[in-house]
Amino acid sequence: MRPTLLQGHERALTQIKYNRDGDIIFSTAKDQHICAWFSHNGERLGTYHGHQGAIWTVDVDPTSTMIASGAADNTVRLWDIKTGKCLKVWDFNTAVKRVEFNEDGSKLLAVTEMRMGFLGTIVVLDINLDVEAEQSNEKVMTITCEESKAIVAGWSYLSKYIIAGHEDGTVSQYDAKTGEQLDNVKVHDLDITDLQWAPDRTYFITASKDKTAKLINTRDLEVMKTYVADTPLNSASITPKKDFVILGGGQAAMDVTTTSTRQGKFEARFYHKIFEEEIGRVRGHFGPLNTVAVDPTGKGYASGGEDGYVRVHQFDKGYFDFTYEVERQARQQQQQQQM
Amino acid sequence: EDADRGASADLAVVEHRRRLLEEWMSWRASIEEEVKEERAARGLPLDPLEGIIKKTTEGEDQIIE
Repeated sequence: MRPTLLQGHERALTQIKYNRDGDIIFSTAKDQHICAWFSHNGERLGTYHGHQGAIWTVDVDPTSTMIASGAADNTVRLWDIKTGKCLKVWDFNTAVKRVEFNEDGSKLLAVTEMRMGFLGTIVVLDINLDVEAEQSNEKVMTITCEESKAIVAGWSYLSKYIIAGHEDGTVSQYDAKTGEQLDNVKVHDLDITDLQWAPDRTYFITASKDKTAKLINTRDLEVMKTYVADTPLNSASITPKKDFVILGGGQAAMDVTTTSTRQGKFEARFYHKIFEEEIGRVRGHFGPLNTVAVDPTGKGYASGGEDGYVRVHQFDKGYFDFTYEVERQARQQQQQQQM
Repeated sequence: EDADRGASADLAVVEHRRRLLEEWMSWRASIEEEVKEERAARGLPLDPLEGIIKKTTEGEDQIIE
């Protein structure tokens, strides 16, 4: 797996997202511009300028028409992917740490930071996917996080629930229509740093500073799997096609007195999703991995580091061939039943 | 004797994995069915993107012509 290095950011990466077809990668960093890249060759497709602070988050709508971003300048911006034009700016009281479109791109949620007397919130905005259309100013719904601020959040299958991961290690489930909290479960000992969905959004993975990642059932917030790492985790992603998960993290330089790349454990870690066993690691970054993202078509993955680089990997034959004995047997059985 | 012990330990691991895989596949089957029924009950297409994706591909086709 020889990676492609995407050079264009001057500061630490904050989030990476693939579009639905897996051919474009969007990346955000603390350097105030969003980059778009072709995933197959790493060529830069464009940049999006306008934010006046570190950009924390980006998401692309399911039709690959628009991207949304959130930043330390207390705004959410909506962009036309093709022209690079900023279509809309929504203002908030504090920084925006996470944005996510729902499954049909008709709504966007934004997670706002707790600061200066403002509690953390999750805000819902209506989106019109027509680039010519006027976008609504209205904040359709605001969920206030009284107990512990949300760090990450997303939309479930059917846009039925909003699921949030909090600073205190809890995961909560809200009714996406009313904002009512339906459930709240403590799943991690420390901050939840990432939440990414399975393709059909019936389960998701959380990453935490407590050095574990967990696979959680969307409907009842049951922890189905736990992946134990030896370093604080910043990101976790579920691979389609193969039953793997990819975790990224590493000790930040300021948290340890002497950090070499070896001690820092700056590797992407692959685990078997069902058996919870570590399968392998991919080295390359010179700092913690802040974000990992998987191509929705299953062809590869990308990682973004504190070192300012995005590394894009195309999976090779060995990756696709790797199976456990019991998986092969189960597949044979299924094929026999179908015959 | 050691080889036997190793073999039975391996067997236990394999049996454990088999059980995990079966549990997972049965959960997937049940949740997929449930979501399918819920989509049907709400009158939604099985694929949430059915309507909107079609619209964009038609648009691209027109450009090619």
